[in-house]
Amino acid sequence: MTELLQALIFGALVGGVYALMSTGLTLAFGVMKVVNMAQGAFLIASSYLCYALWQHFGIDPIVAALIVMVPMGLLGLVCYKLVIARLERIDPGLTIVATFALAMVAEALLALAWGPNEVGTTPSYFNQAFHISSLVIPRAQLYAFLLAAAVTIALQLIVKRTWLGHAITAASQNPEGARLIGIEPSRVGAQVFAIAAGSTAFGGAALSFLYQFTPDTQDAWLGITLSVVILGGLGSMPGAFAAGLLLGLAESLTTTYISVRWSAAVPTVLILLVLTLRPQGLLTRATRQDAAS
Amino acid sequence: MTSTTSFMTSPPNPAPRAAAARGDGRLAAFTRRVWIPTAVLALVAVPMVSANLYYQNMLIMTFLLAIGASGWNIMGGYAGYISLGNSAFIGLGGYTTGILAEKWSLSPFIGCLAGGLVCALAAALLSLVTRRTRGMYFVIVTFAALQLLEIVTTAWSGLTGGSQGLAMPVPTWSLAYQDWPFYYPLLALLIATVAASWWVRRSKLGLGLFAIRDDEDKAAGLGLRVALYKMIAFVLGGLFLGVAGGIYAYYTSFLNSAAVFDIVTSMLIVLCALLGGRGTLWGPVLGAFIIAPISNFTSTNLGGADAGPIRLLLFGGLLGAVALFLPRGVLPAITGRLRHPAGPARVTEGVEPPVAEPAETAARDRTHPTGAADVLVARGLGKSFGGLRAVDGVDLSVGRGRITGLIGPNGSGKTTLFNLIDGTVATREGAVTLAGRKLERAGRASRAHAGLARTYQLPRLFPSMTVLENIVIGERAFSLARLWARRTSMAEHERACAVLDELGLAAYAHESPAALSYGQRKLVELAQVLWLDPALVMLDEPAAGISPALCARLAAMVRALPPLGTGVLVVEHDFEFISDLCQDVYVMAQGGVIAHGSVAEISADPAVVDAYLGDTVVSQPTGSET
Repeated sequence: MTELLQALIFGALVGGVYALMSTGLTLAFGVMKVVNMAQGAFLIASSYLCYALWQHFGIDPIVAALIVMVPMGLLGLVCYKLVIARLERIDPGLTIVATFALAMVAEALLALAWGPNEVGTTPSYFNQAFHISSLVIPRAQLYAFLLAAAVTIALQLIVKRTWLGHAITAASQNPEGARLIGIEPSRVGAQVFAIAAGSTAFGGAALSFLYQFTPDTQDAWLGITLSVVILGGLGSMPGAFAAGLLLGLAESLTTTYISVRWSAAVPTVLILLVLTLRPQGLLTRATRQDAAS
Repeated sequence: MTSTTSFMTSPPNPAPRAAAARGDGRLAAFTRRVWIPTAVLALVAVPMVSANLYYQNMLIMTFLLAIGASGWNIMGGYAGYISLGNSAFIGLGGYTTGILAEKWSLSPFIGCLAGGLVCALAAALLSLVTRRTRGMYFVIVTFAALQLLEIVTTAWSGLTGGSQGLAMPVPTWSLAYQDWPFYYPLLALLIATVAASWWVRRSKLGLGLFAIRDDEDKAAGLGLRVALYKMIAFVLGGLFLGVAGGIYAYYTSFLNSAAVFDIVTSMLIVLCALLGGRGTLWGPVLGAFIIAPISNFTSTNLGGADAGPIRLLLFGGLLGAVALFLPRGVLPAITGRLRHPAGPARVTEGVEPPVAEPAETAARDRTHPTGAADVLVARGLGKSFGGLRAVDGVDLSVGRGRITGLIGPNGSGKTTLFNLIDGTVATREGAVTLAGRKLERAGRASRAHAGLARTYQLPRLFPSMTVLENIVIGERAFSLARLWARRTSMAEHERACAVLDELGLAAYAHESPAALSYGQRKLVELAQVLWLDPALVMLDEPAAGISPALCARLAAMVRALPPLGTGVLVVEHDFEFISDLCQDVYVMAQGGVIAHGSVAEISADPAVVDAYLGDTVVSQPTGSET
C-alpha cells in the first residue's frame, strides 16, 4: 500500500514536471497547429543556460529561469520570423521538418559549447525530501511541481483573459477574419512563439536540477513532451497538465511494478496508442474540423 | 571513380533543348535507354576496376541511403506523408537478420529477406495510424516508433543483446572478394527500389497517391481506398530498406541499438529525398549520391570530440536550408528550367501514352433502373458541433431519375447535410440508404462505390495531375488488380477525351487544372464525378460564380442525368436555376427541413418566404451568392 502511494506521489510530481516541460509545445500546437520538433532542444538549451548561471553566479535555477526566459523568448521570436513564418507561407508540410532540422542544429551547438558529458545543477533542495510517516516527498520534485502549476495557470490566464490571448485565439481560428479587424496573424504568431519558447525556460530549469542532461538527450525529451501534447488533445493547457500527470503516473507505476527499463517506453507507447485509437486526445471532445468547406 | 558517380549525379538530359520543348517523351526515353544503363554498368564495374575499399564503402553507404530515400519518397513524396523514423527499418531489418543468424545460424543473406518482411509488417501497422489522422501526426508517430524500437531493443536484452549489442557472423568468403557480397546485393536492391518507385508512379496506385497528397478527403470521396494506398506506399518503403538493413548489418558486423536506430540516419534519408527532389523518381537517388560522399568524407576526415556535433551541424543546417530555400529540390529546379525555359510549369511529368487494354473499362455506360423507388433516403440525420445543432433530424429523399433541389439561407446546414450523407462528417444520428443499401456506417470510399458522388462549392481538382487524369481518377469499385494498372488505359483515355471534347476543353487535356477558369473547373469536377456513373449526384452550388454560358452548359449536363436513372440533389441559391431544373425542392433553415414540395408549392409557402426567399423573389432571378 505504501509502495503504491509512494509510486502515485512520485508519478504525480514527475507528471507535473512533464507538463511544465511541454508548455511551449502545447501553446504552439494548440493555437497555431505547429509542431515544434525543436522543443526538446529548446528545453535542454534552457537547462544549459540555467546551469551556466548556476555554475558561474550561483543563481538558483528557478530564479535563473526568470532571466533565461528572455533569451529563450528571443530565440522563439527569431525562429518564427526566419523559419516558421516563411514555411507556413511556401510549404506548411515542411514546417515540421525544418523545426526538426533546427533541433539538430541546436543539439550540435550545445554539444560544441558544453561538450558531451552529463551535467546538472545542485541547489540546496537537491536530493532532499520531506517525510510524512513512511512516505517520501522529494523537495526538488515538489518545487518543480508547484512551478509547473504556476506556469500553467499563468499561460492559461494569458490565453483566456488578456487581449493578446483573444488576438491569439482569433488569429488561429480565422486568420483572414483576424486580419480584417486589425490583428496581423504573423505578428501574433511571433508573439506566441516568443511566449512558448520563453515558458520553456521554466521546464528547462526544473530539468536542470531533477535530471543529469547532455545535448543528445533532447530527442528523448522531445518524445516525452510530444506524448504530453498528444495525450492532452489539441493543445489545451489544462489538458496538457492532466496528460502530464497521467504520463508521470503511468511511468512511475511501470517502474514500480514492471521494470525501470521499460518505463522509458511508456511515452512512445502512449503516443502510438492514442494516435491509433483516439487521435483527438484522451482529454478532449471532438470539435468541428470541416468548417473550411 | 568520379566519372562513374557523375553518371548518377548529372541531370538526366542536359543537352537538347529543342527536344525538351517537344515534351518529355524523348527526354524520358533518352534517359531510359542511355543514361540509366550507362550508370548501372558503371556502378557494376567499380569494384572490379578499383580495389579501393574507401570507394566501395562510400558506394555501399550511398546505396543504403538511396534505397532509404527512394523508399521514403513513395510515402513522403508521392503521398505527402513525411516520416522521420525510416531509419527504424534499417535497425529492424538488421536486428531481425542478426537474431536469426545468432539463434538459428541462418545466413544473413537469407535472414535479410525476413528482415524485409518484418519491416513491411511494421510499416503496415504504423500506416494504420493514418486512417484517422493526417500530416503532422504521422511525423510524430514515425518519430515515436523509432524511439520505441531503440528502447525495446535495449531493454529486451535476452533477444537482442541489449546495450551489449549483437555481433553478426563473420564473413566466410575469400578476402579477394573484398566487399562485393555486400556491394552487389545492395546495388541490386537499389535498382529494385527505383523500379518499384517507377512502377508506382505510372500505375493507378501512384495516381491515387498523388491525389492523396493534393486532397485526401476528395480522393476518398471519389472511391479511392486511401488507407490501403497509404499502407502499400509505406510498406514498399519499409520492405526494401528492411532488406537493405539486414545486409548492411552484416557489413558493419555489429549491431548497437543506439547507433542503428539513430534519428540522424532518418534525417539523412529525409535530407537526400528533399535535396534531390521530393516526389520525383530520380531525386532521392541523386540526393543520396550527393549526401553520402559528403557524409563519408566528414566521418573520415573529422576527428576528436567535436566531430559528431560538427557533422550534425552540417547536415541539420543543410536540411533546414533545403526546406527553407529549395523545398522542391535540385532535380525539379534543373529539369523545370530545361523543359520549360519560360512560362509556368505544366503538369506533364507523369504523362505517358496510354496503353491499349481490353479491360472492362471500355464499355462502362451503365444505366440505373428508373422507377418510382427513391435512390436516396435519409432519415433523422443529425449532427451537433459542440453546442451548435448544425443539422437537426433531417428526413430527405431523392427519387430515381429526378432532380431535387435543396435551398436555404447560408448557415442553414445544407453543406453539413451533404457532409453527413457522403460520410465526410461522421454522425451517430440517423440513417442513409442509397439504392437500397444502408450506408450510415460505411466509409467514404464505400459510399462512392455504392453510387454516391458530390461536387464542392469551390471545385476541388487535383493540381498535380492533368485535367484528363483528374477525370479518370475516380474508382467505381475496388479491385487490387486495378491498382497495378497503368494510370490511364487506352479506353479511359479515349472516353475522357470525348468527355472533354463535349465540354469544349479538349485543348486542356494535358494541362494542370490550374490553367482552367473557375467555371471550367466546375465543369471538370462535374465530369469527374460523373465518371463514377453515380446513382446519386450531389451538387453544392454548381451555378455560383460562373458565367451564364457555362451555367447553361452545366444545366444541360445535369438535365442529361435523369434519363439515365441518376438522381440529383442540388444545393443552389440561384432560385431560377433551381426552378428550371428541379421537380421538387426541400427548404432548410437552422438545421431542419421547413418545407418540401414542388417549386410552386414552396414559393407560395409563407414560412419559406419568411425564412429565405423574401416577398419579391419568385418572379425574379436572384443572381447568385456564395
